[in-house]
Amino acid sequence: MRRVIYFLLRALRNMRQSPFLCSAAISTVTVALVILAFFALIVINVQQLTRHWSRDVQVVAYFDHPPASPVLDRQLSRIRQYPEVESVAYISPRQAFKRFQVRLGDDADLLQGMANDFLPAALEVRLTEKYRNSAGVQRVVERLRRNKSFADLRYGQEWLERFEAFLGLLRTAGLVLGGFLLFAALFIVSNTIKLTLYARREELEVMALVGGTPAFIKAPFLLEGALQGALGGLFALLTSFLFFSMVLKEDLGRLLLASGLGKISFLPPHWQILIVLLGCLLGLFGSLFSLRKFVRI
Amino acid sequence: MIQVYNLNKSYQKDSSAVRDLTLKVAKGEFVYITGPSGAGKSTLLKLLFAAEKPSRGQILINGQNLTRMNGKKIALMRRRLGVVFQDFKLINSRSVFENVAFPLEIQGKKRYEVSNKVYQVLKLVGLEHKIKRYPLELSGGEQQRIAIARALVIDPLVLIADEPTGNLDPDNTCEVMELFKGANARGTTVLLATHDRDIIRRFPRRVLTLDQGRLVRDLTP
Ligand SMILES: Nc1ncnc2c1ncn2[C@@H]1O[C@H](COP(=O)(O)OP(=O)(O)O)[C@@H](O)[C@H]1O
Ligand SMILES: [Mg+2]
Repeated sequence: MRRVIYFLLRALRNMRQSPFLCSAAISTVTVALVILAFFALIVINVQQLTRHWSRDVQVVAYFDHPPASPVLDRQLSRIRQYPEVESVAYISPRQAFKRFQVRLGDDADLLQGMANDFLPAALEVRLTEKYRNSAGVQRVVERLRRNKSFADLRYGQEWLERFEAFLGLLRTAGLVLGGFLLFAALFIVSNTIKLTLYARREELEVMALVGGTPAFIKAPFLLEGALQGALGGLFALLTSFLFFSMVLKEDLGRLLLASGLGKISFLPPHWQILIVLLGCLLGLFGSLFSLRKFVRI
Repeated sequence: MIQVYNLNKSYQKDSSAVRDLTLKVAKGEFVYITGPSGAGKSTLLKLLFAAEKPSRGQILINGQNLTRMNGKKIALMRRRLGVVFQDFKLINSRSVFENVAFPLEIQGKKRYEVSNKVYQVLKLVGLEHKIKRYPLELSGGEQQRIAIARALVIDPLVLIADEPTGNLDPDNTCEVMELFKGANARGTTVLLATHDRDIIRRFPRRVLTLDQGRLVRDLTP
């Protein structure tokens, strides 16, 4: 414990002795992580939006002619057992007719003179949350097809696929850009720490010559890197939160609200922890790399 | 205390700084290492405190084989060696006290233990009144004595010094030699590299003479 405090004091002293390099390292980490946090923020909220939209994802299976009630019951209980299915509702031709009327509103008189059972009977199959995507829809559709009792299947798969592709693209772009940024930050941090090591080379050399073990010599620098990184992570979190509540919440919010999402949210707690942790690791590895090149004992 | 077998060191391919060196130094001995410039004196000392790796051969200090040690073992061995470097290697951004206390600090000694010991050693080298100064505020002779104090503060098994009187005037030289003799009298083995025949004449001890990396003479008065 005394050791840890000693290392901490030495790390803090190092940081105080070169405030410029220290703040350079911290701001590098901050910038990289702010951009990353941003991507995460957008991806997470758009994902939220998909989840919201996909509540409407359902498969409608039309019967040739209205089924007899034992047949219907058998179908219902069978379909309910599919793992992808949340609920199944039977829509009789009459119910379908009423809905159609409601939907037509003022133009309902168009239906004047039509038999009230001219619409086909249907099953509306809602999917469980996990399967509310194109793959899930595909699975259910396949099962229903094998069922062979339905004349037609309707499912809004195309928009779902497009949207998923868009989301995937966003996520990939975030990952690629994020990876690149992290790598660049690692490079810069490792070089900044190399400069602090260079400023202290005299001390490092003497330390080794009077019996400092490699671990003892490195520990304060690793700690310094980790501290700076964590600090950078915290600043990144703070910056993106400020930006989120001042700008993003309004603008992105308006955009997303228009598409039906209730509210736009900041990064969830595990993402916040991840950002700080990422900063910490960035600093740690940055100093580890520079130490490997510098401290040759 | 020190055993060296068939030691070779070449910095470049075709020339050796130390060639086929075999020697023994007993516990408590005082030994000069002399020879012309470029003879390999500094190289030998560097090999002894593992600042350089031998190209061939073995070095045993206190029965432990230096050539087979990893970084941590080497560090632990160095804690028992006091080294006075030709260029002092003091840390200019730290005070005299901090410089001398450095080896003890690294060994994790308690605070009061450190300050007692540092004060004692500074008194021994006659610089206790400069305890708060910084190295660059001191004369060459004073810096040298601080470097010696830092080597002595750990009560070393072996004291290794490379040209410790190289830049000193006769008075300072005398004082410094008295410090080494004192340490030796208290039981520390001393290895001192010098090309100054005067010192050897005035303080006669065993002399190892190197020439072009070879041991050419081993005289005990
Ligand atoms: N770091 C080094 N790199 C290359 N050659 C070196 C190095 N140090 C010493 N030498 C060479 O090794 C030989 C012995 O040097 P050194 O041990 O310093 O001699 P001395 O201390 O007796 O003057 C010299 O020829 C010198 O040029
Ligand atoms: Mg020399």
